[in-house]
Amino acid sequence: MRNPLNRRLLRELTGDIGKYIVIFVLMVLSIGFVSGFLVAGESMSTAYDESFEKYNIEDGNFRTEEKLTKSERKHIEKKGVTIYDNFYVEKSFDNNTKLRIFANREEIDKVCVMEGRLPENIGEIAIDRMYADNNGLTVNDTLTLKPGPGDNLTASAGNKAIDNTLSSDGKTYKIVGLVALSDYSALFYSNNDMMFDSSAFGVAVVSKSQFDEYDEGAIHYNYGWLYDEKPENDIEEKDLSDDLMERISKKVTLENFIPRYLNQSITFTGEDIGKDRAMMTVLLYIMIIIIAFVFGITINNTIHRESNVIGTLRASGYTINELIRHYMAMPLIVTLIAALIGNIMGYTYFKNVCVAMYYGSYSLPTYVTLWNADAFLKTTIIPIIIMLVITYCILRSKLALSPLKLIRRDLSGKRQKRAIILNKAIRFFDRFRIRILIQNKSSYITLFVGLFFANVLLFFGMMLPPLLTHFQGVVTDSMLAEHIYLLQIPVGAIDDDNQINVAFSYVFLQNKILTNNPDAEKFSAYSLKTTGADGSRVDEVTIYGVRDDSRYIHADFDEKTVLISSAYADKYGYKAGDVITLKEPYEDKYYGFKVTGIYPYDGGITVFMSKKHLNSTVGMDEDFFSGYFSSSEITDIDSKYIGTVVDKESLTRVSRQLMISMGNIMYMVDGFSVILFIVLIYLLSKLIIERNAQSISMAKILGYSQKEIAALYIIPTAIVVVASLLISYPIITYVMVWIFRVMLKQMMSGWMIIWLDPKVYAEMFLMAIATYAVVAALEYRKIRHIPMNEALKNVE
Amino acid sequence: MQLELQNIKKSYGEGGSRVEVLKDISLSVEKGEFVVLLGPSGSGKSTLLNIIGGIDTADSGKIIIREKSMSDMDEKALTAYRREHLGYIFQMYNLIPNLTVRENIEVGAYLSKNPLNIDEIIETLGLTEHQNKEPSQLSGGQQQRCAIGRAIVKNPDILLCDEPTGALDYNTSKEILSLIEEVNRKYGNTVIMVTHNDAIKNMADFVVKLRDGVIRKSYRNETKQTAAELDW
Repeated sequence: MRNPLNRRLLRELTGDIGKYIVIFVLMVLSIGFVSGFLVAGESMSTAYDESFEKYNIEDGNFRTEEKLTKSERKHIEKKGVTIYDNFYVEKSFDNNTKLRIFANREEIDKVCVMEGRLPENIGEIAIDRMYADNNGLTVNDTLTLKPGPGDNLTASAGNKAIDNTLSSDGKTYKIVGLVALSDYSALFYSNNDMMFDSSAFGVAVVSKSQFDEYDEGAIHYNYGWLYDEKPENDIEEKDLSDDLMERISKKVTLENFIPRYLNQSITFTGEDIGKDRAMMTVLLYIMIIIIAFVFGITINNTIHRESNVIGTLRASGYTINELIRHYMAMPLIVTLIAALIGNIMGYTYFKNVCVAMYYGSYSLPTYVTLWNADAFLKTTIIPIIIMLVITYCILRSKLALSPLKLIRRDLSGKRQKRAIILNKAIRFFDRFRIRILIQNKSSYITLFVGLFFANVLLFFGMMLPPLLTHFQGVVTDSMLAEHIYLLQIPVGAIDDDNQINVAFSYVFLQNKILTNNPDAEKFSAYSLKTTGADGSRVDEVTIYGVRDDSRYIHADFDEKTVLISSAYADKYGYKAGDVITLKEPYEDKYYGFKVTGIYPYDGGITVFMSKKHLNSTVGMDEDFFSGYFSSSEITDIDSKYIGTVVDKESLTRVSRQLMISMGNIMYMVDGFSVILFIVLIYLLSKLIIERNAQSISMAKILGYSQKEIAALYIIPTAIVVVASLLISYPIITYVMVWIFRVMLKQMMSGWMIIWLDPKVYAEMFLMAIATYAVVAALEYRKIRHIPMNEALKNVE
Repeated sequence: MQLELQNIKKSYGEGGSRVEVLKDISLSVEKGEFVVLLGPSGSGKSTLLNIIGGIDTADSGKIIIREKSMSDMDEKALTAYRREHLGYIFQMYNLIPNLTVRENIEVGAYLSKNPLNIDEIIETLGLTEHQNKEPSQLSGGQQQRCAIGRAIVKNPDILLCDEPTGALDYNTSKEILSLIEEVNRKYGNTVIMVTHNDAIKNMADFVVKLRDGVIRKSYRNETKQTAAELDW
């Protein structure tokens, strides 16, 4: 005979359909979204990993001042590498975006065509797909190159007439394809940049014949190399690249040298995809635990409601396991169906959403959707197990009570020995409310826990956008100078082994890098890296050596003064007296500095000391300088000698890019947490009213009005809601700041001071109160519908 | 001998608030007997019934059922014992709200390897026309009939009834008592009924009067009244 209790399942489902639909939808959405995210992530990650071989990605690249001669090339290749030309020119839009244009690559760093085709003729161009997306360009649109300083380009949509004023003396390109360059999956303009900015910078390819038309003076002589024999591990790769750099720099003037493992444009994406997945999985587990928690309280509620029936069944001979199976069936069925549909949606709709998110952040090549066993385990098997374990534990603990206790509805386990005495001076109604609070304390604790979980999610979704916006304001407000120019110092010029070369380069440079701008103030700067010993990303640290009477850095410098920026201090928790250890980027050479103070600057990971101090530390002449602070633009130095310009735009690049790459997730988390928040308050408040149905009914019989009863039962819940919110905010703040710090440390080089918008607390509070108001109105209706015979009839 | 209680003691609470509910209770019940445990509130009759039913435990003493000692049984064996040998009827009917009358009776049948015919029981209980209704659509008496059906459908050796008429009016109570009497006669189950209604003793084969946890009097009726003949 089939267990007749099973017939209840469908009735239970239809009887409480609203609740089950909400839970089901929440599960489908969370499982579907995370499944889609993981499937997309794995597929993209595989596409990324395979791209190294498929597109023959370089082992590194270097840029020389002059084109390599045949003999120089031969000399370098003797080091066990093959060198490939990868020349480019850079063109600027008048809206301050740049395009780095390569000749089509056929041997190394090959191009993946995403839409359209590769350029074949003069006047055709294929631009990076993401750059195109961010700038509203597509195939068949035209780009107009504006001659003059910077060779600005102006774009116009394909169906619009080209701006005649520009095209009259400009050059028009037709966009024939949208592409992904395998060595630019993250569009870093410079490897020194903290973050890439795919809306301001892009890459493109033109045909060989088109490239040959460019003025030789505009060409950057960039070369990619491949090792003849691949290094076996990271250490060997580093040694090989160090040797190679030394060999090249002795022969030619190096402007840039980036082995692949240090090339953010290549490696950033791979590292980032993994991190996102970890974050989403954690988010899924939080959601599943919340949903299991919802199921838990639902089951608990059912057991409370049916305890006498359960006790009778147990007394009649039903085993605990039979009853556990019965009460577990519904959560499990809902979870299984939700997991199934969630997975289907994960592989279809959500995968496409997430792939679009990846394509919105990275310039990845085409991909193939891969079956992902890990995603299935994480989104389906583990949630089912979590659900199974939580529901089993709750049921086991409740149903293990003796049949007699169940029949008598004595589920508390231990009975309160004595009633709490309340002062009679307290108004009767208030005492009544206090009694309700005491009587329902377990439900209220549950309400608090539920609100806490929902607030964590809400906080996550709501705090990040203002944090990023605030950061943009902070960095621009605390800029060291309106313009900071870092001069281009060839890598070889600071090679200790090559003092003659240093001297030559320096004398040569001196004439090229002086300015007559009265606002300009010289400084020396040196770039070192953090050791990454604490597991965070390796940071590039800029050390400024400044004049003693600086107009821009307001501090007294003596020979021992080492000030670190407030951002640096905040990220690593340094204070005056601590010793920081920094490393030469390409050498095994370490520097230790004792921090003497913190300089209020949130724009970057920076160290300040006197110019003399810095120059002597890194072995440069006392007068050596490598850049200018200036309150006005410097126009009399050739842009060729300006390596990096730190201005408002470059400082806010980090937050802008984070907004682009995390924006979608944030809004989804935001929406999801709001729904979850409403559902939790609704379910938990409903539970409290249901538990008190009999008392409410009795109060009605005694003659209490509807309003009085509502005031008695709704106000205590409102008090608990408000108290829970107020208590949970500081705890959540503490927890979330910790999570944000860990997350940001892993996600970005550089630093963003964590600032929490007080307005968001107000918004969260108001949202919670508004939600509760709606729920309270529903409760009020519910109380009205509790019949008076509830208290008198058999407790069914 | 179907059931034998030897020196059963039970107390609740600790120290000064300790209350002895059962003080050295011993009695024997024969198979098929209709036993009434009679006594006022607090006399210990329900506690004794619960101990017999294996849903409460004695502090000391022995319960032997069909020559097996209950004190040797663990939780699992006790559940099996209740499943195979006992049927329970409470003052509150404790029916499953979203199952019909018939399905509620099936809940009992499911526990037995040889359940009685459900249709026959429904007919015996006079619930044929209500069999597809849910408990909330029934009167108290009808709900108690359904609870009786759920208890007897598995044809238990012993039917334990804890104040089965406590929540019912005079006429309905008599109907329910008649039904239990009929079940006892028809199926030969031993019935142990707890009540504080003195009149019910007259329909019992064996009467045990309890007060303050002690058997004040126990006797077997020479002549019995039918439930219909009872008056109070």
